[in-house]
Amino acid sequence: MVRSTDALDRDVRLFVYRCIIETGQAPGVEEVGRGLDADASDVAASFRRLEADHVWVLAPGTTNLSMPAPFSTVPTPFWVETGKGSWWGGCVWEAFGIPPLVGADGTVFTFCPDCNEPMEFRIEGGNLQPAGGIVHFAVPALRWWENIVFT
Amino acid sequence: MLAFRSEEHVDRWCKLWRVPRGATMTLEQQFDLAVAWYDDMLDPDSGRRSPGDAEALFRKVGLRGDFWRLSE
Repeated sequence: MVRSTDALDRDVRLFVYRCIIETGQAPGVEEVGRGLDADASDVAASFRRLEADHVWVLAPGTTNLSMPAPFSTVPTPFWVETGKGSWWGGCVWEAFGIPPLVGADGTVFTFCPDCNEPMEFRIEGGNLQPAGGIVHFAVPALRWWENIVFT
Repeated sequence: MLAFRSEEHVDRWCKLWRVPRGATMTLEQQFDLAVAWYDDMLDPDSGRRSPGDAEALFRKVGLRGDFWRLSE
């Protein structure tokens, strides 16, 4: 099937996120290529364009999805459990976004970096339930993509 | 961005690890921002959010000032 670059990027993005939501696993370029009837090299190029567009982060020097926001394929301090599945969130912002995105109630498990006390945030009926805590951003918004892992 | 128990915990952690003391938001602000940010993510026509659109979302949840600026 011949697609424009924009159409391929759209299809790749949607295929990847549907896989992550339905299976809990991020697909590789071969799997996406098979699913979309596209050449794996074209999918790899799409993965790189979507990284350049800040849709996700790839593991350095590879086309492996590392942080397909709001999900993370590598363990983080933000574990999200819902009735539809469980995932790592890339940060507290992303973790909070997962239950609404998958359309389920859920709980975000993390801990205070200062004292290591566990913290749990329950999301029910699309609302964050009252809880103690605060979110800190170390880096101003304009500089987030200088090193998105440290913000 | 990380969640802490309180501003006091942020201060202590930043000092210990020599991390710049940036900005804080409430959990509710963070949740509202996350919901709005990922709202159209599975929409086939959704594209990259412009800096102006992102700043509008920041303002919508009450985040104002230079720290939240995305336009050069």
